[in-house]
Amino acid sequence: MELFFQTIIDGLLIGGLIIIVGIGFSLCFGVMHIVDFAVGEWVMLGAYAGYLMVRYFGHDPMIYLPVIFLIFFVLGWLVYPLIFRAVSGKGHNPVIMGLVFTFGLSIIAKGGALSVWGYHIQSITTWLSGKSLSIGLVTVPALRFSGFLFGLLVTLLFMAFLYKTKFGIIIRATAQDRDTANLLGADVRKVGAFVYSLYAGVTGMSGVLIGALFSIHAAMGAKYATLAFFVVVLAGMGYVPGVLVAALVLGLLQSFVTVYIGGRYTLAALFLVMYGVLLITPKGILKRGI
Amino acid sequence: MKRLSIFALITVAILMVGYAQAQEKRDFFKIGVVTSLSGELAFGGTVTKRGYDMWEDAINAAGGIDIGGKKYKVQLVYADDQSTPATAAVGGERLITQEKVDCILGPYASGTTLALAPICEKYKVPHITGSAESPLIWLKKFKYTFGTIPPVNLGPRSAIQTLTQDVTPKPQSIAILGIDDAFSKFSAEAMKAAAEKAGIKILKYEIVPEGSDYTPSVTAIKSLKPDIFAMGNHEKAAIEMIKIAKELKFNPKAYVQHYGMSTPDFRKGLGKDIEYVFGISYWTENMKIQSTGLFKNPKEFADAIRKKFNVDPDYTEAGCTGAGIAFQEALRSIKAAPPLTDAQKDALIGALENLNIGTFYGQIKFATEGDAYHANAGLQSVTLQYQGGKLTEVGPPKTRVAPPKYPAPPWDKR
Repeated sequence: MELFFQTIIDGLLIGGLIIIVGIGFSLCFGVMHIVDFAVGEWVMLGAYAGYLMVRYFGHDPMIYLPVIFLIFFVLGWLVYPLIFRAVSGKGHNPVIMGLVFTFGLSIIAKGGALSVWGYHIQSITTWLSGKSLSIGLVTVPALRFSGFLFGLLVTLLFMAFLYKTKFGIIIRATAQDRDTANLLGADVRKVGAFVYSLYAGVTGMSGVLIGALFSIHAAMGAKYATLAFFVVVLAGMGYVPGVLVAALVLGLLQSFVTVYIGGRYTLAALFLVMYGVLLITPKGILKRGI
Repeated sequence: MKRLSIFALITVAILMVGYAQAQEKRDFFKIGVVTSLSGELAFGGTVTKRGYDMWEDAINAAGGIDIGGKKYKVQLVYADDQSTPATAAVGGERLITQEKVDCILGPYASGTTLALAPICEKYKVPHITGSAESPLIWLKKFKYTFGTIPPVNLGPRSAIQTLTQDVTPKPQSIAILGIDDAFSKFSAEAMKAAAEKAGIKILKYEIVPEGSDYTPSVTAIKSLKPDIFAMGNHEKAAIEMIKIAKELKFNPKAYVQHYGMSTPDFRKGLGKDIEYVFGISYWTENMKIQSTGLFKNPKEFADAIRKKFNVDPDYTEAGCTGAGIAFQEALRSIKAAPPLTDAQKDALIGALENLNIGTFYGQIKFATEGDAYHANAGLQSVTLQYQGGKLTEVGPPKTRVAPPKYPAPPWDKR
């Protein structure tokens, strides 16, 4: 029984990490129809940013989260015009062009990280590292739990922003019908830049958390790109609220398959579920995707 | 115009043949190195590069390889396998066909070595890997491939023996978590085989993909309450698994991991939590070995590595320098001057098979039959443990520096 409940906790906490990687990615696709292949590299660069902050300024990496958000927001703002240029223009398939361009960005980021910081595996610790709460039969690792709460908070803030603010309405309008929104006065280019920057900022912040939980190295991003794709398919492409449900489902699936069937079958299970969703309910498990 | 074109083509062809012929005259050994200078395995590839570069520096400082009284210097030519097997094969082929290397020093990883070895077979070029340990390589019985590190399935035996023969109370159970790659999986299998032989109950044996979140796996293992938690892995996975174990308050009596005990990454990654962790090695700088060749003893090699690279060496660096020494002694024995002809390359194979030398790294004697064909049969593994923050040899009993510390105290009592 203890194992069963612990498996649920593990799954929810894994899902929490997937939320913070998937939510920005889903927003990026939903609004701009850009599949950002470099999502894993934003995580990696965020982790390295956290590492460098601690190395040069000391203190706990978590206190640098707002600064890292700002830095990556600005980076996203600078990168977006290049992406916009790649996906605009006549005679292109914008989605494919976006994918190819961001794939190129991910290669540059990976190679650049390896050249600048080398091959060493880095680690950062926070005051929460190694700590856990014992609640009844289960043990809840403190850092992962904070990641889960962070994921929930980010989701709620995004939802509030998208559904309760004027700019959020403009973003949703742009996502639904870009040309019409443009005709009605929405500056779609600025909307796109803002959304991409927001996504880069949030994903960069998630990198600090992930870096504290796991190891930091130039090739760490690939697995998060895979997870982001999974969660977006399950959530329904472009449907941001679905990311919460999809991420938790994926986390629980990983946890239960690993514990009760075997760790080597986890990826197969994830792929099977993804294919099943694409075949049976291509708009996601909540049927609200594009 | 047509005549001019034909004349130009003939001239170019003559120049190319002449250039190719001119290239083949040289008074130094050109040795190719295929290893991971980029990609996921770059951390390991760089370890091998240090070992190979150290050999190049040392042998050239001594004047070069002595062939019948004349010394020939060594030049290493690198090809980056980018941590992928296909690129290792392409890189090896380029080194052989375009750079025309005399022989090849091989990759960090077993997967890339398995891709490079058939290329060396095809072109009949001798190849020694100073790093790769997967038994799959030796099972294929490549004629032209050798390795200075014994197969991984022999290594973990020492750690399990230390924990079953040299500690009290004797552990009764073990859970093994291995990563699914050509090295780690065999390390985990070796731990399982050694545990079965020692009569320890195997509560769980799990192989998971590289890069997984190991939390659910460790949760499942924790629920079984094993005495030993053994990891078949490189150090990155061990860092993550031990961190997760601490977060989940999992307190086995011993942690055993395989590769990377002395790497700075492992020490920095775990910090104080590295205490009591057991690991496996074939060489440490404190071993009492004397040699008459390059580097008189392990300490001299370790000091040289620290001076040049500002890192502590581990057994892979030593194995790679040992690979260079193996080529050097084999070439000396057949008195083959560069560039090597095809006949000389074949003779080099015979010389490597007959080699039995003592080096700062230990004995190098390649097996010529059996499942470990052309792997180094001259070395035995040792058990290491972190005690008081220092990496200490704790087994086998004859050569250990200190007894093993067992059981490890629970996390909240450290």
